[in-house]
Amino acid sequence: MADTQQRPQPLITSHGAERAFESPITALTATADGLAFAVGTLDGDMIFAPLAASRTPESWHVVHVHEAAITCLSHDPVQRDAVLSGSEDCCLTRTRTSGDMTALYKGRRWVENLAVTSTHIAFSYGKSMELRDATGEKTLKALDHPSSVTGIVFDAKGKRVFTAHYNGASAWFVNSDANNVRSLFWKGSHTGIAIHPKGDAIVTTMQENDLHGWRLSDGHNMRMSGYPKKVTSLDFSRNGRWLATSGADALVLWPFFGGGPMGKAPRELARLNGIFCTSVKSHPCHDAIAAGFEDGTILLIDLSSEQILPIRYGNSQNDAVTQITFTPKGGAMAFGTEGGSVGVLILNHQIVT
Amino acid sequence: MSSEKVPVTVLTGFLGAGKTTLLNHILSAQHGRKFAVLINEFGELGVDNDLVVDADEEVFETNNGCICCTVRGDLIRILGSLLRRRQKFDGIIVETTGLADPAPVAQTFFLDENLREKARLDAVITVVDAVNVLTTLDESPESVRQIAFADVIILNKTDLVDETHLEAVTSRIRQINAHVTIHRASRSAVALDEVLDRGGFDLNRALETMPNFLTDDSHGHEEGVTSMSFATQAPLDEQKFNAWIGPILQVQGPDILRAKGILYFEGKEERFAFQAVHMLADGDYIGPCKPGEKRESRIVFIGRNLNRPQLRRGFEACQS
Repeated sequence: MADTQQRPQPLITSHGAERAFESPITALTATADGLAFAVGTLDGDMIFAPLAASRTPESWHVVHVHEAAITCLSHDPVQRDAVLSGSEDCCLTRTRTSGDMTALYKGRRWVENLAVTSTHIAFSYGKSMELRDATGEKTLKALDHPSSVTGIVFDAKGKRVFTAHYNGASAWFVNSDANNVRSLFWKGSHTGIAIHPKGDAIVTTMQENDLHGWRLSDGHNMRMSGYPKKVTSLDFSRNGRWLATSGADALVLWPFFGGGPMGKAPRELARLNGIFCTSVKSHPCHDAIAAGFEDGTILLIDLSSEQILPIRYGNSQNDAVTQITFTPKGGAMAFGTEGGSVGVLILNHQIVT
Repeated sequence: MSSEKVPVTVLTGFLGAGKTTLLNHILSAQHGRKFAVLINEFGELGVDNDLVVDADEEVFETNNGCICCTVRGDLIRILGSLLRRRQKFDGIIVETTGLADPAPVAQTFFLDENLREKARLDAVITVVDAVNVLTTLDESPESVRQIAFADVIILNKTDLVDETHLEAVTSRIRQINAHVTIHRASRSAVALDEVLDRGGFDLNRALETMPNFLTDDSHGHEEGVTSMSFATQAPLDEQKFNAWIGPILQVQGPDILRAKGILYFEGKEERFAFQAVHMLADGDYIGPCKPGEKRESRIVFIGRNLNRPQLRRGFEACQS
């Protein structure tokens, strides 16, 4: 690009490093202790990138955990240096950064979704969501759905777990003996789910270029539409005021205050004309959103000042950003792309975990 | 990474017609191409192929409220995952169960954005059992639909019946789908280049090899499913065509099982390939016509309650 010389240096070159792998990056998480990132690939490999080695990617450790694509990754609620991974090889596995592996589940359907709290693990295969204790050893219940589960999320207190599926979402009480489900109905195919940090609303992505939401206090429906592309990534801002989404050639933010999002226009920041946003992630402690784009560009956007910090400049048609995450306190960030690039950078040296 | 769209072949056919035999034949033949295969049951398939994936048959209505606009949710998820590694294979084959309606499978490729970008529906291949098909057609509306949806028919088990019977079967198939390419076979043994990678969809070649394209006026007796085709040598006005086909698919979509066409628009060198399943349509420019090829726009409708004079008048009114 002609203006390369004028652009500020991206943070990845000054504050971190990246490494190219052969397989597309399909999942990403930080360990609970915040000392490492774990990256899942389409070939079933797990890459461990310790923060201490953020500038020496050649030292990152690759473990072959699954025989097929890793579909979902999460920190482990018990072992603070381990992660949980679900895969198209139909397994759920715990892997420590040392490489030690424990198989927690082996079935006949892809393990496609995973969510954890400090006390529970929930994962789905086909139409079932299985709820286990935090050790992952004990099955508490298996909850059946009318169609495949496409997303799982716990509320902030871990009392309820929500699933997305065809024709709506379901809410289950984690500790209830009776499996009384609250059904949130909306016709159509729901493909992913997010929950408001204060438990005010549930929002799903849809097969169409729409979002659908339910206000949890009264079940009121909320429709958020107008996207040029399917929304594949969504995340609420830290305080729940904004819902950040992909699906346009800008970061799209829906207001969840002052009566919104109903009847309100979304805010659009960081427009890259004709280049679509593919991945969003809210910073855990600041009102900032990281947005990844289909050419590999990643920007960190401060919501109050609207300042934009370039993390990485993209330059490829086949390097869409698929994953972005932060450590629990937000001191470090990692990303992965469809082309197989993985990057780690330290944002705040005072908070490395 | 290739930006070319991956061709997808949908394989249908009634129970026992020989789908699995054909699939085995395709997978074991020495053609140097690698296929990812989606099947419903591993069952008899004895081929060692690491790209064989077990699929559910979740059929979803789409959100426009129309009961004919269905897609396969599991297909979207599984193909979405497969297509991320599209450099590892040359094509995808989706085998549907013997009782399945091919429409939700075909429509999935029209409706899902990700699949539209990365894959193209190459052809619907229906395997037909020459021995039993006449009885099956009388008893099962699904078998009628499988023939109506086909771009290519493998008429199988032809070694078990005589020529008179074969002609009766062929005639019955043509009543439903006048312009489909029919390959006779026994034990599903067909030349693979006749069925795979047909280029967008099969109409192009079907039309080239179909001398009776315009003269055929057979009437359907199977649930009233029949096919009608129209042609014109005058270039079409793209806007007029869109203004005509849109409402037809909107109003008659549930009755139109498939519509396909090769169109010449005024001012365009390239031919436009159009296809629709029920209410969902898709199309793309497919390059200029070959030297010596007649510049003629052709369209075919396969479905029920089709009004021939009305469709002909409408199509002819699209001339620029």
